Amino acid sequence: MKRSKSIGLVAMSASVIALTACEEPAVDAAVFETLSQCLANGDVDRAQCEADFKAAKEQHAKVAPKYTSQTDCEADFGAQQCETAPYQTQSGGSVFMPLMMGYMMGSMLSGRTGAASQPLYRSKDDRNSFRTADNKKVGNTIGRTQVARSSTRAPSMKTSTVSRGGFGARARSFGSVAG
Amino acid sequence: MQRVTVTPRDDWKTTAAEHGFNFHSIDGDPYWDESAFYQFTLEQIENDLEDPVEELESLCFSVVERAIADEEVLERLAIPEAYWGYVTDSWKYQEKNFYGRMDFSYSGTGPAKLLEYNADTPTALYESSIFQWVWLEQAIERGLIPDSCDQFNSLHERIVEALSKFGIDGSFHLACASGSEEDHGTIAYLEDCARQAGLETRLMEIEAIGIDGDGRFTDQADLIIEWLFKLYPWEWLFAEEFAKNIPKSGTHFIEPAWKIILSNKGLLPLLWEMHEGHPNLLPAYFEGDPAAAALGDTFVRKPLYSREGQNIELQRNGNSEIPHPGDYGSEGHILQAYHPLPLFDGNYPMAGCWLIASQPAGMCIREDTTFVTGDDARFIPHVILD
Repeated sequence: MKRSKSIGLVAMSASVIALTACEEPAVDAAVFETLSQCLANGDVDRAQCEADFKAAKEQHAKVAPKYTSQTDCEADFGAQQCETAPYQTQSGGSVFMPLMMGYMMGSMLSGRTGAASQPLYRSKDDRNSFRTADNKKVGNTIGRTQVARSSTRAPSMKTSTVSRGGFGARARSFGSVAG
Repeated sequence: MQRVTVTPRDDWKTTAAEHGFNFHSIDGDPYWDESAFYQFTLEQIENDLEDPVEELESLCFSVVERAIADEEVLERLAIPEAYWGYVTDSWKYQEKNFYGRMDFSYSGTGPAKLLEYNADTPTALYESSIFQWVWLEQAIERGLIPDSCDQFNSLHERIVEALSKFGIDGSFHLACASGSEEDHGTIAYLEDCARQAGLETRLMEIEAIGIDGDGRFTDQADLIIEWLFKLYPWEWLFAEEFAKNIPKSGTHFIEPAWKIILSNKGLLPLLWEMHEGHPNLLPAYFEGDPAAAALGDTFVRKPLYSREGQNIELQRNGNSEIPHPGDYGSEGHILQAYHPLPLFDGNYPMAGCWLIASQPAGMCIREDTTFVTGDDARFIPHVILD
């Protein structure tokens, strides 16, 4: 046979999406607000607490959402909940990001590498839940818990955009690219 | 090879809507046309199209090898000098390519002749991969065509597999220019495939791309774009304001920059120069090359960069015809021997052969009523039946 054995569309097709929407698997993780909270928790290896805290702390500045004004940052994360990021805009202005409110450990619990430790945040509108830097909710349980697999992905790097619209001029004069 | 008329499925428009196929008509005229199909033998598909495509791809790689080692070739292809280093590095670092479509004139007998290679931003992918497949399955099920029909179309499986092998971690961004439903449909389909390959995806428009203080590209949510499928030609990217940021952006582009060598019509004279007489190639020359006199006064003149068949000119016995006028051609032209598309019931079909990760993976037939296939050409499904 010279054709695909089957085709499936997960998002484009109206019928398939209903079957997959509720099926995201949960995976083991552990969530702590601070390093000391993790160290005091008997369930988790102390050395792992320290290593993962350090890794999350190191990622924080890279992956946290970025703002060019403190007001905009506080509008999303609340008063006194933002700090200056170790970056500057092209014109030398400050960049702001939310404070790290906790961290999520993953890799040591499933016994395989992959799900890295990452920093967690709390948004102004939902103070009770932790969220990843990609704004995925991971609940409010401290200690061992289960989270949706998609929230254990490595968070994307965030930055502060200084200019937009530098691509697309040709499309405006030529139209579709269809080749 | 024959053209066979057939009853369209009475519910095909509903089926199209259910499968997210929203560009089946262009300006009210049907683009998807299942009132006929083209029938091929397995031998025609395998010997006359699939095998030559694989071989031509390796000849194309020999052209890339030559171009990256010879600045004069990059100059003839009108690639901006500022990006020669970036283009050649993308090949030296073996950046993976994803897809392409070789367009042939093929009549069922004799060798298929390569008209051009859409190696950078081909469209018609979704309808080739999905809707043509669905038509085949339903047409068999409803007794419109024989049970033993097959199709040259493993696109969907190959696409998902290829996307899973890029080594993409983090987000996979897919971008096209705003305003074209067809382009948006293409990246929406690839996004679907990418999700099936386990990737986390983000769709965006090319105009929304931003830049941060360190010269990295960003999306509308200020995420750094690490992997970008761009349905936007390299020669356009290189001509625009943010072009100078591309080499140091750290963004991995799909297609990689070396594809600009193959999506360029200058590929055709280079292939001919290096492999003159190959049965699947037509004689071709850069305009101004004295050797082009061999073509006589009947030939096709094509801009180095052109899309949708625009500005392609037929010179026949000294008379000029341009079926799809446009704004291309400022970078120069090539001349190619005129090899007419075959004529079936008043239609000129062009056979587009898909490559996924450089492997032949499927075919689409598009029909036009003129000898140059334009963007308004209709998509006609095909079957393999011995």
